[in-house]
Amino acid sequence: MIDVYRHDAHKFHGQPHETAPEEFAGVSANRSVPHGADADAAALSRPGGHHDSVVPTHMTRYRLSLLTGAPTVMTDGGSQATVDTDVRDLLSVTDPEQAHECWLRSDVATLFNEAVVFPYTSLKYHTLLVAALCVNYRDGHSFEDLRLVVDEAGEIVPHRTVYAGSRFGLRIDVHDGDRPAARLGSRPWRSWASIWARLTDHPLKTDHDKWDMTLDANLRRIWAWSTALQYLEEFAGLRPSP
Amino acid sequence: MTRIQQVLWKLEMDYIGHPYYVSGNAIVHALGRSLDLSVLNSLRASHGVFVPGEFGRFPEEHSCSGVQPYLGSRLPDIQGYDDLFLHREPDHHWLLASRPREAVNTHGVRTDAGHPTLAHRTIMGRPKAHRKGKKTIYWYVHAYLHADDPTTLPLGEASLSNIQFGGKRNYGYGEATLKDTRLVDLDTLDYSRLRAADAHLIQLITPFVTASEYPGANDVPVPRWWAENRDDLRFREERVVVSSERYRLETVDHGQVMRYLGDRPIETARNGLTRVGSHSRLGFGEFRVIPVLDCTETTGDSNGREH
Repeated sequence: MIDVYRHDAHKFHGQPHETAPEEFAGVSANRSVPHGADADAAALSRPGGHHDSVVPTHMTRYRLSLLTGAPTVMTDGGSQATVDTDVRDLLSVTDPEQAHECWLRSDVATLFNEAVVFPYTSLKYHTLLVAALCVNYRDGHSFEDLRLVVDEAGEIVPHRTVYAGSRFGLRIDVHDGDRPAARLGSRPWRSWASIWARLTDHPLKTDHDKWDMTLDANLRRIWAWSTALQYLEEFAGLRPSP
Repeated sequence: MTRIQQVLWKLEMDYIGHPYYVSGNAIVHALGRSLDLSVLNSLRASHGVFVPGEFGRFPEEHSCSGVQPYLGSRLPDIQGYDDLFLHREPDHHWLLASRPREAVNTHGVRTDAGHPTLAHRTIMGRPKAHRKGKKTIYWYVHAYLHADDPTTLPLGEASLSNIQFGGKRNYGYGEATLKDTRLVDLDTLDYSRLRAADAHLIQLITPFVTASEYPGANDVPVPRWWAENRDDLRFREERVVVSSERYRLETVDHGQVMRYLGDRPIETARNGLTRVGSHSRLGFGEFRVIPVLDCTETTGDSNGREH
């Protein structure tokens, strides 16, 4: 599984996959992911085929924030050297479960998009989606067996948790354990809004809380999975403190 | 003859209010300032769905095809039942994959005195460095009206123009202007896609009210033609404000999809347009009937969407 967390190392440096080195900072990197999990995760957030950039004025590896419309920057004002160090630390973790937790907590991985032509996508959440699909496929399950499951905050299921916020977590798994859930359907597509709208319960205060309702309203409008999960993470910073 | 009048308003100012939609109650209230009481009492308004005024491609099930500029900012011709839903679902699957659809279709959120405010436009590109790359996309509100007294419709443009939705109206929030309106006769629509299918799904476009604090409103069980029982449904509390009094509603939350167990899909579909359950005259209880073309397989459209 550790290769899964390093399969897109080249995207941190803007290198094309074809010419990406097989090693980065002394560890193996840029290896292809088994079971077609990378392609399926990509299909959750991007349309297939060749596309020109949807934002021609922003042709870089840095993500555009759906919340602010601006390119992402390190929140602590960190320099390029800090970014480089954080990337190296993230990719150098050798224990797969620890790597999963590092990606869930990572800030530096949120700075990058998963495809230059789709700058609102997130490399962080693409990688976590690849890991969740890969581990489920490895265990013999097919895509149509899978569900999006809502977990309580702090409950991390190795490789399967794709979002870990301070209020709840989200996981891709076969079993929901009586937690709120929705089936992912027969094949991967940009189905975020459709699946989110079918969850048996929403982990937000959508009765009265106008901020949560606004977040929910926008989550029902987003197709791309990595964009939606990144928006969930970013929106937490927008809400004024009580 | 059952006629509905579709209305598309353009937001001219930011909006503070219900973030999922402009409620039918808010629309009736806004129209009330320019209508006779007898007309107003006859009027039934849908919830208003926020639509980005962007390019788009007609979905496969629509009776028109091809890419149209500003598909979000006009009301296209209506021939078939499915055409009515072009602007009614917030994920707006007519938006093009070749454009930044997520940025176009999510509300810009601002803060006013601690409350979230929805921006009335989205400015794309970075104007300072790329003046020519700048593009502004406005938000529209799509709703439809029908009336107990059919002679009430169509409402004239004077009644529909220069309207305001939501809160802080004294500060100019929620100002909207009429962009387009169209009268549709539900009896002459083409329902053949529904007729051709052996199985159907029900998609809730707006919440369905199961219980209301409002005096005289009946508590309504989930209709027997929904396959799912209560345990499988997501509920959400809503409110209606009538004469400054707030009444709580228990609703089945919108966006959910159920199997249809009835045997009269076209009649059910018609009822879904004029809406069912308590407070249906204020926008609640709107749903779409979706044909499942092959029972053993889910269907997908050109955008990869499945039902």
